[in-house]
Amino acid sequence: MIVFSKVNKWYGEYQALADVNAEVKKGEVVVVCGPSGSGKSTLIRTVNRLEEIQGGQILYNGHDVYGVDANLNSLRSRVGFVFQNFNLFPHMSVLDNIMLAPLKLKGLNTSYVKNKALELLDMVGMSHKANAYPNQLSGGQQQRVAIARALAMEPPAMLFDEPTSALDPEMVGEVLSVMKSLAKEGMTMMCVTHEMNFAREVADKVWFMDAGKILETSDPETFFQNPTHPRAQSFIRDIRG
Amino acid sequence: MFANVIDILSQYWELFLIGQYPHGPLGGLVNTLILASLALIIAFPLSVLLAIARTSPFGIFRHPVTVWVYVMRGIPLIMIIFWTYFLVPSLIGRNIGGFTTMLCTLVLYQSAYLCEIVRGGLQSLPAGQVEASRALGLGYFRTMFFILLPQALYNSIPSLISQFISIIKETSLGYIINAQEMTFAANQVNNQLLVKPFEVYFILAVTYYILCFGLTQLAQWFERRIEKKRQGSDLLAT
Repeated sequence: MIVFSKVNKWYGEYQALADVNAEVKKGEVVVVCGPSGSGKSTLIRTVNRLEEIQGGQILYNGHDVYGVDANLNSLRSRVGFVFQNFNLFPHMSVLDNIMLAPLKLKGLNTSYVKNKALELLDMVGMSHKANAYPNQLSGGQQQRVAIARALAMEPPAMLFDEPTSALDPEMVGEVLSVMKSLAKEGMTMMCVTHEMNFAREVADKVWFMDAGKILETSDPETFFQNPTHPRAQSFIRDIRG
Repeated sequence: MFANVIDILSQYWELFLIGQYPHGPLGGLVNTLILASLALIIAFPLSVLLAIARTSPFGIFRHPVTVWVYVMRGIPLIMIIFWTYFLVPSLIGRNIGGFTTMLCTLVLYQSAYLCEIVRGGLQSLPAGQVEASRALGLGYFRTMFFILLPQALYNSIPSLISQFISIIKETSLGYIINAQEMTFAANQVNNQLLVKPFEVYFILAVTYYILCFGLTQLAQWFERRIEKKRQGSDLLAT
């Protein structure tokens, strides 16, 4: 579904991604973890080209994301992306936030799109706030709406860039449970997160990154019990305290 | 003094209001309003386009507008009025009236200032807004019109209103090129009376003040309406 081959990215002199090779298979949930500045967010942002790369290739659902003939907008509309800071549109109601892309990009009729949006809101437990504006919602509520918005285009895969990092601790659970139910339904997911319990429970694969490289890819069991790479071993020790 | 003011008003109100019309050209307050409204109606949308160009990733759109803004900002308005007044007829080969000259000048000059206000509004929006919109698959123009401009223009309302007000006041400079408007009319009244300049120009000042105050109130009402819409509608949902 998402294939990274020899992906390289520099910010000037600084190499953010170094020869990244990896694959997210259809229906798989991959959790990307690692210390700050290891390139996790940069990596996930290359999938829908919010970051440019200087070398290598990324295939999304068979399409070359950085190919010269890539139709960027149509490609992006088929990738669900959830941001750390939610980035809801503050001048639109919750419902309008979700309906915007399907209305403008798919040309479907309003009542159909609205019913679909209400279903999504129901799924994330936010239908009672359909007509509220983002600034009237808590962080956890905003993030759940943002997930619904990303799902509205019915993308085959969802990307989560630290979806719970900007949340108060008591709101993390509600967002994670939405993500868990998505995973259960068989959604292909790539998540950058520090929530190790989520990784342990839900992930099929854990990718450990440091200094722009993927150092270890293993199933969560192996990663948390017997990490092979020394850097991953010290990371596990540190998060256990 | 107030007796004098009322006296002048009762005698010359028609001249203040519509100039010499119907015996001569339309002028006075009515023409000031028409001039200011037209200038605003043309300059504002133009300034939005200029602001889009000025924030464009393409130098070919960005650079000319940047030059334009710098030139307009760096030259006194009256100089631009003179230029338009003397230059344009020699370019197009026929005379243009004071009103048209003043309208063109105001549009040119104010669109540059308004452009900078709109640009400020656009650039102060968090980068996440563009990213979220683009990540949904909305292109550059859809992002601009559905996401960025509605927020940027709303946030810029206070500065935009100040600029709209200065459009109203700057129409008075039309006087120097014989554009028929309120200041011109006041001056005609003053020339007939000769001995009551303070009263005449007091009437003029109060009229401008009321116009600008009215515009401010209208803007505040508009702003409150948008705010209310964004605050209250979840009550309908629950």
